[in-house]
Amino acid sequence: KAPWSVQRGEDSGEEKDWAAAKAFFDNLKTNKPRPPKPRYAVTIAVSSRTLFNMVAERKIYEDEGMEKYVAYQVEHENEPLMPGAAFPFVKALMTVNSRLRQLYPDSEELFDIVLMTNNHAQVGVRLINSINHHDLTIERFCMTGGKSPTGYLKAYMTNLYLSKDSEKVTEAIEEGIAAATMFMPETENELSDTQLRVAFDGDAVLFSDESEIIVKQHGLDTFFEHEKEFENKPLAQGPLKCFLEALGKLQRKFYAKNERITCPIRTYLVTARSAASSGARVLKTLRSWGLEIDEALFLAGAPKGPLLQKIKPHIFFDDQMFHIEGAKDLGTISAHVPYGIGQKYHKEKLIEQSPAEAF
Amino acid sequence: MSVDSARETLYHRGEADMVATIQNTDVKQEDAHGAVVVAVTSRALFGGDDDDDVSGVGVAFPLLQALQRVNQRLLEKDPAESLLFDVVLITTDSQQQQQSSRIVSSTRHHGLEVSRFCFSSQEDFIESLLTNNVQLFLSTDRNEALQASQQGVLSALLDRQGAPSEQLRVMLCGDAVVRPDAGPAPVSRPAAESFSSRLGEMRRRFGALDSPLSIVLVTSSGDRESCGVALRTLRSRGLGVDEAYCLAGAPRSPILSLLRPHFLLGDGVIGLED
Repeated sequence: KAPWSVQRGEDSGEEKDWAAAKAFFDNLKTNKPRPPKPRYAVTIAVSSRTLFNMVAERKIYEDEGMEKYVAYQVEHENEPLMPGAAFPFVKALMTVNSRLRQLYPDSEELFDIVLMTNNHAQVGVRLINSINHHDLTIERFCMTGGKSPTGYLKAYMTNLYLSKDSEKVTEAIEEGIAAATMFMPETENELSDTQLRVAFDGDAVLFSDESEIIVKQHGLDTFFEHEKEFENKPLAQGPLKCFLEALGKLQRKFYAKNERITCPIRTYLVTARSAASSGARVLKTLRSWGLEIDEALFLAGAPKGPLLQKIKPHIFFDDQMFHIEGAKDLGTISAHVPYGIGQKYHKEKLIEQSPAEAF
Repeated sequence: MSVDSARETLYHRGEADMVATIQNTDVKQEDAHGAVVVAVTSRALFGGDDDDDVSGVGVAFPLLQALQRVNQRLLEKDPAESLLFDVVLITTDSQQQQQSSRIVSSTRHHGLEVSRFCFSSQEDFIESLLTNNVQLFLSTDRNEALQASQQGVLSALLDRQGAPSEQLRVMLCGDAVVRPDAGPAPVSRPAAESFSSRLGEMRRRFGALDSPLSIVLVTSSGDRESCGVALRTLRSRGLGVDEAYCLAGAPRSPILSLLRPHFLLGDGVIGLED
């Protein structure tokens, strides 16, 4: 988490708020777990459209406008919404939390899932009902009634933000918050319900786009030469590096209790780099950061889809839409990270942009 | 209109020392039954740096502008609208009472639509509030607000930082809405419920987008379910919430500094105890 400087006055207010919530949850008859203290938690903010399938409702908004959309949602508020792209990921986070609570009953180092939506609060009733129906442990939410969520993301100390809206995601990344635009495949692969699996692309996701710039502008040969020359110079970090770091921190809590083999978190690097010619730099960079990744898969340019189909991650992060589409086509839930030079290209071609097109 | 001549009249009638309420003839007087009467203390409105003749504006200035904007938009929709905010400026101590003409001229100078001025003192300002059928009393002084609330007048503290937003932002505390009755109901609860329902009616004149007022619900310690209950409860009282934030123990101040409400609407007591 970014350093959070707190003045003394604020500190005692914070403690009061925390104590009041703790008392509230302790008094609940249902015994449902209370959410962790934000400063220690790994906070994942999900939008309503990633958590739930709201495709039909979205169409009403686009075709008939806001008023009809809100009225429709209110009319149907007792009908729970169906799962969306982030749903399996959220369930997997909950599984990790229950394992963590068993091993460390007093720790606040848990996943905290926050619903971050710019939906109107009247639509929120249906969202709350749906969360109830699916028994999700989401106790915190922001329904901003149209206002941008970026400020709230920071206020909730968000570690990762998932949305369907690429503009909001881009804004978040520009503010230094790890974020990605989610895509739902038409048919989903069957995912593990005991282990959270997160797959990352390397360049422009975990690492900066510095090497990708070389590929795009100077071609592969120059890229290989460059990577060999700078093998021992760590790459700069990319937007999802801190999220990987947060996952690693939680993984080590399982290792500390001798649960490495049964660790409910597994991370994968799925990169188009080849092990022989450019892989070393990546592994050395990770090592220099003190980060572990469970499996590093070097595809040497082969498509990522089939490999991801085997891995079955709950989420796969990549900066290039070409890979996102490939993964999605073969049943992997994918999340696009709109960062770096990759946004200006489609496959290997520079995207022609008319002045009217906002990037 | 001259305050001095009005006071002179009262003096000759032997009533100069009592509460004086003076109508501002520059401003159209609202329909007594339709309007939502909001009283603001002059100390809250004029707390800023003073010019020679005119007082500088204080914490309540953005609020009054926001109330005026709501009125403008309501009248745009229906020129015959009677559900409008009716703003009364009230002095609550003798010192302010003596500044009456300065207060009136400053109000005019800043283009504020205040329909009435109440010149009262610490002892009788609550009587003023009651006589003027004030439905919401806003002050920067906690004691004043508490006193008024104990006499059944819905009161709220003005946010000291002020709120730069053009939209009138009213915040409600969700925990208070659903909290089970621990003791006797606050005296100002009926006033709170009636104000909520009128505010809700006013809100309904506008659509989901581009409304000049926004109702913001914040639940600090309760879970999502209690926030859901608060949303439905307020809905049943005629007040539709626009924005909802459930903190469940997360620190409040970063969120509040983003939300920037003009004031917090409690039961009249609970909001003030924060």
